[in-house]
Amino acid sequence: MKTTMVASSLWLAAIGPAVIVAAALAAGTTIAPSAARSNRIALRAAFCALGVAVASAVAVGILGTLATPTLGVDGIGFGLYLDRLSATMFCLVSFIGLIVVAYSRNYLEGDPGQVRFTRLLCLTLAAVLLVIVSGNAFQFVLAWIATSMGLHKLLLFYPDRPAAAIAARKKFIASRLGDACLVVALVLLHRTFGSLDYGALFSGSASMRASGDVPLAIHAVAILLVIAALLKSAQFPLHGWLIEVMETPTPVSALLHAGIINAGGFLVLRFSNVISLSVPSMETLAIAGAITALFGSVVMLTQTSIKVTLAYSTVAQMGFMMLECGLGAFPAALLHIVAHSLYKAHAFLSSGSVIDIARSSWTPSPGGKPHPARHLFAIAGVLVVALFVGRLFGASLTQEPGVFALGAVVLLSLIHLVSNGIDERPNAFVVVRTLGLACVVAVAYFSLQLLTARLLAGSFPPPHELDNPVNVAIVAAVVLSFAAVTFLQSLVPGRGGSPRWHAMYAHISNGFYVNTLANRFVLRYWSPAPANPPEATSR
Amino acid sequence: MSETQIELARGNAHVDAAIAGACNRIAPLWPLKHFVAVNPFLGFTNQTFHATCATFHRVARIEMLMDRAFFRQAVASGDIVDEDLASALAAAPPQWRAPGSVAELRAALERGSAKRVKHPAVVATVSEVLDSLAGGDRNASRTAFMTDEISKWCAAYFDEGQSAWRLPARDMKPYAAWRDAMRYDLNPEMMGIAGFRSLVAGLPDDPVAAIEEVVRREGVPERAVEDYLHQALLDVGGWAAYARYLVWNNELFGRPDDTLVELLAIRVVWGFALFAQRRDEAFAAAWRRAMDDAALSPLDERLGDDPELCVDLIAQEAYERAYRRRLFAALRGGVASTDPRANVRPRFQAAFCIDVRSEVYRRALESVCDDVATTGFAGFFGYPIEYVPIGNVTGGAQCPVLLTPAFVVCETVGGATDDEDANILGLRRLRRRVAKAWKSFKTSAVSSFIYVETAGLLFASKIVSDSLALTRTVNDPNTDGLDAAAIGRLGPRIEPRIVGGRQTGFDGEQSVRMAEAVLRAMSMTTNFARLVLLTGHGSTTVNNPHASSLDCGACGGHTGEANARVAAAIVNEPAVRDALRARGIDIPDDTWFLGCLHDTTTDEITIFDRDKAPASHRGEIDEAIGFLSRAGALARRERARRLGIPAGAGAERLVFERSRDWAQVRPEWGLAGNAAFVAAPRYRTRGIDLEGRVFLHDYDWRADEGFGVLELILTAPMVVASWINLQYYGSTVNNRAFGSGNKVLHNVTGTIGVLEGNAGDLKAGLPWQSVHDGTRFVHDPVRLSVVVEAPLDALTDAIAKHESVRNLVDNRWIHLFAMDGEGSVSHRYRGDLQWEKI
Repeated sequence: MKTTMVASSLWLAAIGPAVIVAAALAAGTTIAPSAARSNRIALRAAFCALGVAVASAVAVGILGTLATPTLGVDGIGFGLYLDRLSATMFCLVSFIGLIVVAYSRNYLEGDPGQVRFTRLLCLTLAAVLLVIVSGNAFQFVLAWIATSMGLHKLLLFYPDRPAAAIAARKKFIASRLGDACLVVALVLLHRTFGSLDYGALFSGSASMRASGDVPLAIHAVAILLVIAALLKSAQFPLHGWLIEVMETPTPVSALLHAGIINAGGFLVLRFSNVISLSVPSMETLAIAGAITALFGSVVMLTQTSIKVTLAYSTVAQMGFMMLECGLGAFPAALLHIVAHSLYKAHAFLSSGSVIDIARSSWTPSPGGKPHPARHLFAIAGVLVVALFVGRLFGASLTQEPGVFALGAVVLLSLIHLVSNGIDERPNAFVVVRTLGLACVVAVAYFSLQLLTARLLAGSFPPPHELDNPVNVAIVAAVVLSFAAVTFLQSLVPGRGGSPRWHAMYAHISNGFYVNTLANRFVLRYWSPAPANPPEATSR
Repeated sequence: MSETQIELARGNAHVDAAIAGACNRIAPLWPLKHFVAVNPFLGFTNQTFHATCATFHRVARIEMLMDRAFFRQAVASGDIVDEDLASALAAAPPQWRAPGSVAELRAALERGSAKRVKHPAVVATVSEVLDSLAGGDRNASRTAFMTDEISKWCAAYFDEGQSAWRLPARDMKPYAAWRDAMRYDLNPEMMGIAGFRSLVAGLPDDPVAAIEEVVRREGVPERAVEDYLHQALLDVGGWAAYARYLVWNNELFGRPDDTLVELLAIRVVWGFALFAQRRDEAFAAAWRRAMDDAALSPLDERLGDDPELCVDLIAQEAYERAYRRRLFAALRGGVASTDPRANVRPRFQAAFCIDVRSEVYRRALESVCDDVATTGFAGFFGYPIEYVPIGNVTGGAQCPVLLTPAFVVCETVGGATDDEDANILGLRRLRRRVAKAWKSFKTSAVSSFIYVETAGLLFASKIVSDSLALTRTVNDPNTDGLDAAAIGRLGPRIEPRIVGGRQTGFDGEQSVRMAEAVLRAMSMTTNFARLVLLTGHGSTTVNNPHASSLDCGACGGHTGEANARVAAAIVNEPAVRDALRARGIDIPDDTWFLGCLHDTTTDEITIFDRDKAPASHRGEIDEAIGFLSRAGALARRERARRLGIPAGAGAERLVFERSRDWAQVRPEWGLAGNAAFVAAPRYRTRGIDLEGRVFLHDYDWRADEGFGVLELILTAPMVVASWINLQYYGSTVNNRAFGSGNKVLHNVTGTIGVLEGNAGDLKAGLPWQSVHDGTRFVHDPVRLSVVVEAPLDALTDAIAKHESVRNLVDNRWIHLFAMDGEGSVSHRYRGDLQWEKI
């Protein structure tokens, strides 16, 4: 009886996306004829959605996981499912949505397309929210496709920009491949479990896990879901569209990089029960994630414009998040999604401040050679910090696989931080401060990880053990390659003259040409671009 | 003042001249850290405005006049009346094929923008020919790719701090560095441009020789080479402009620089690669035709060939005459022929920058305080200084970009002992180093992941507080790394001292010389009040890459605070007063100067160094503050109206909010609307509402022996005003070509300038949002009308003496008028040192 009551009141959570859709429909009509009024209504709707999200999160916190039955035929239809994962994402995305809508009010003031902008922004936002709260894989896929359609229109907000068209086309291809994967996965899921309701899917996969008997169809589903997720999150080598979507107003970039791009990670987390049944799928995630993480972050170092730098950073961060998923560190991946979204939304919205940052980035020391032993000092310092923090948190972390890899990344980062503090003329103030920072970072990192793991206990399947050699090899390769990049990074300043470095720089700064080939492909097979007669270039 | 010129002397003299000519047509672009207004037509001031319109059209199909609909609208709304049309028509040179009558002119305007007739021949570059073969699709023709590639490489080469891994060859000269990069860069070949690397490697090492060889191998006819190269540069016009800035800056200090020529070589070689990969007959035929046409291209602009252009030019002239008709009527209405306050000691005096935004505030101040005297002068108050922020070794040049700083002034903490000063300075440096290590943690390859997982959540509150404008997105660069207690005490140090091996501050002789020159140039030599406020200006905005464009242009894109404080402090020194008295400027002992800053976004005025003022003046200062705050409220009300903020109780709050809003693309209107420059005593214009559109420079020719000050005004402030005016003009008439496009797409590159969107060329000029409010242009595209009260002979002599001034007025980049002794505008400058009576 109680569950029915909860289930029926859970439908109230649908008010969140619904009011935003209503605001989108109102924009430009007699209810909201002006751009300012459309925005005001959208702002209220987004505020309301955030309220609903917070209320849902509180409800989930008190009552545990909530789900409605599926409204539909044969387990295919619509329903809502709120657990700690979806409640977190619901809050996150509606928060980002609210901020972006508020930002667009003044930012796009006077743009002739502002009403259309508000409408598209709302529709896209509502679609993402529907993806998050959905309780049926059918609804999930529909909302997923709607998100990408909405985004496509936002990317073409200025339709006469040829570069926008190329990026949107690349995105379109990647999205449709992903959609195809998802649709096939749906069919297989329905065949296997007889329903697309999350409850049925999750309990079905739990019993498979218990029995240890995983049919081939589930492996296929898992790999299809993984591919769809990788495509959605702009993973190497189909990342090209993401680094070229600065052809649309900044708030779209903020929503994309902080809200929409997470859908890939959310897909993996949402269906982690299914995906983690398939070891090869998890390995695919880990490998693709690690490659993308290193690729993105190394290319990022060479980029010269703020927004493209931020975009490569997103590619890398999404890769790292996928790596965490692949290693079974699902709570860490969710933490990464939330933290990255907040950081990246701010980074895009404040990207105009980069000149202020540059003006305060004067070089305080006259230069000279870095201290030769700084890495040794740094490693020693970080080991002390690690011992200290390790003692503080006890051994509870080492029981999880993947923690070894992530822990190594933390150590590498801290070494980088501290060795940067030991610059040309080592100074106690600077070294002590950076060591202090390293301590704070280490404590914050591990506390947050522990806290997240505690909060999400039971939400995700238990991690695999490092039992097969492939897994061990992957973890080892990840640690070694991250270490290699850290090392390379500290070598670069001294390598100005070497021809090999000149060649490397050329390849890296071009993103290893992947995107150029993609552009050439699109130009070759999907032309012409929208008419842009020579006259248009002169006024 | 000198406008630098690029000269070359190697190899083929003709091509050398063409290269230099093409390079000299590019106007410089200052980096965003200290962005100043530049006349985008700077390279054309030696030809007329009209001819330049034709040149841009001929060379690059770029329009530099508003379209017909704009003028038609102005006629329909009554802004332009028949009288304006008739006089503009009468002023058109006889060789133009102008309409025969006002009726015909009106009909031509009604007819709308008929497609401009094509000139008989246009010089086409490789990219134009490719574009036309691809039906205008710049992606299919790969010319967009070429621009992207050059722009990307330039950003890497010139990067001032965006990328962590810098271009390895950046210590070579540009062309050599580029060729080095192109030995390894596979990108063009990946795009399908076969043999790119070997083609680049096979061309001469010397950039000029490479240009000569390409021009020869492409078969560009000799007479078209300069236009060809100019047009090639326009494909990467933004970076060319930045290179021109580097050249300009180096040449001001006497250092030769051929960065721009090297960039031209890169662009020409790139074009040649596109040329060489097309072996098809269609291209060969199109290219032959283009070169045949180019061989026939006219050597002069032959305006008479283009009656449509003549109509537009006459309409532009009529539009400007319409504005002047209203301006002169206003001047006639308000003018006092003698100064009614001549012999009364003002309650206090306040000097402001000539900036058009000052006019609004001065009018407001005069309306709340009848016996205040306000003055207009260039906002650097005559002190060309390099201002070194605390902890730094060098600083920015705080003077008009036509000058080089003559003095170095260090920022210091007021009232601090040397030890304390050294501590604050040292601490700031150490904090900077920690911040650097942290930034490296944040932005490096591996550590950035851990940064996000530890610090990312903190941005939840940062986003909220930034959205509510409770915090600034990043620390203010001027005070970053300093304690709050020190921030309130910052100020310039005047006393001479050697810092880092350089003389800083002013010694006794320098102080006296500067003080005298400045007071005379300001026409401020008698009748001093007890308080004199020297008010520089700056703006307050956040998250705005173009923030420095709203600061003081006369201070080189910085705020005028330091200059105003230096100027006030020096003239307060008793020794300087004594020496000035000996030189005929008697400042009473009870006069005190104060350095102030006018915030043009919020119309607040900050008074500095109040604690140093004598106790006897405290009462007057408090009284002045009362007037200033009432004037500020009035001025804000006027600004709010222009910003489209509905009048009412909340209007003031909304003006303040704009200055803190991270999403605001129009924090203030800057100098939009600027249209005229008046050099005369203030009583000629006092009481007239000039709508914040007029630069006001105080000038009393009767006190100007030998007319040295007049020459100064015509060669410096007037030229700077014209740069600003033409920058706004260009960004309004054709934002795509002369402006920086849509602000919501801006993507700061290399911390130098902006791209519009993802890639493409660097953008010069002002954003569309700075001249347009979404429904109409807020800036009126008119050339500057300059009114000077001075004898005609003196004006004529000054013009004849300075070629740069003569170019501007003879070639109609400026309309010059003289005001007579009665205060009415009496003569119009006709060109060729001739005047006509109005």
